[in-house]
Amino acid sequence: MIAALLGGFASGAADAHFQLLYTPEAALKEAAAIPLALVFSHPFESGFTMNMGKPEAFYVVSQRGDAQRKTTDLMQYLEPIQWAGKDSKGAAYLAHPPRSVTRSLGDYTYVLRPSPYYEGNEDKYIQQITKTMVNVGGLPGGWDEPLGLPVEIVPLDKPYANWVGGVFRAVVTAHGKPVPHAEIEIEYLNHEPQIEAHEFAAEGRVTAPQDAFTTLSIRADANGQVIIGLPKAGWWGICALDLGGEKLKYQGKHLSLDAVLWIKATDMTR
Amino acid sequence: MKSQTLALLLAPLALAAAAVADAHNAICSCFENDNGTITCEGGFSDGGKAAGVPLRVFDQAGKVLVDGAMGKDSTFTFAKPKVAFRVEFNAGEGHIVTIDGRDIEK
Repeated sequence: MIAALLGGFASGAADAHFQLLYTPEAALKEAAAIPLALVFSHPFESGFTMNMGKPEAFYVVSQRGDAQRKTTDLMQYLEPIQWAGKDSKGAAYLAHPPRSVTRSLGDYTYVLRPSPYYEGNEDKYIQQITKTMVNVGGLPGGWDEPLGLPVEIVPLDKPYANWVGGVFRAVVTAHGKPVPHAEIEIEYLNHEPQIEAHEFAAEGRVTAPQDAFTTLSIRADANGQVIIGLPKAGWWGICALDLGGEKLKYQGKHLSLDAVLWIKATDMTR
Repeated sequence: MKSQTLALLLAPLALAAAAVADAHNAICSCFENDNGTITCEGGFSDGGKAAGVPLRVFDQAGKVLVDGAMGKDSTFTFAKPKVAFRVEFNAGEGHIVTIDGRDIEK
């Protein structure tokens, strides 16, 4: 009975793991150095901050119009820090790549492959391959192209150009193929990350009326397509869970290989 | 391969693009290279190329210092003038982007 109760609690808490790959602006008017925060957390509630190991890969794929796609490794810019959530601190990373990395026009997709995280509550590992897309100057470049990641959410709308009240569409893929009825979690980045202070803002922007609103759990459709509404300005995270299948193992335990995509909604203002 | 085929099909449409240019914006951005040259990149907000679009560099009096055009890769590189200058990317009426040389960074 106690085990069952604990089990219920554990799965509730575990539902909302989200790998952040955060930068303040998604659509830059002009080229600038772009700071990034890599934090493994529960962003809606600024909940438990998990310890990140050294990432397996961290790079940016950029393209100006239909010019050749370019990959820039960013591992050398990783700076280990402690990131503070509401009630916890965890190992995280910052990165301040120089302006020269992002001085061309076009789309920049940041990709983070974190090291697998052992989730004791569920006796399994979690690895969330995460993409955050930024555009410089309004010139597009390959935002709708898959990057060939083992698991990946491929956008059907520009992740950096969304009005509040609109919808965002994407296709969940594993090894390049759509995943029908994939299990999806969505969270609003409710507590603004304060990059240089290494913490989330204490106050959230909204309050969930009930637990089901903290992490929105939905399913992809039969074609692996996801459509989400964007009712509030800011960053929204989309996570497709366990795309590697039940048999995927890491160090003898199950590995949940997840794909995360962050998108930003912007208010229509004067 | 598929995109090449598409490009061939769309090539005749490119001529008409200028006429429907209102649906997108001209974009130009420049940066200074380590060797003292300046590279300008151009394009359109719909992803359209800027190949062949004139790019001129003027001094403060309006004299043309460099009379260039965007290459096939939608970029143009020139030696940084020793005097104050501005860059003009001219994709036709309503599609002119002007950049002050003082705003061009590395």
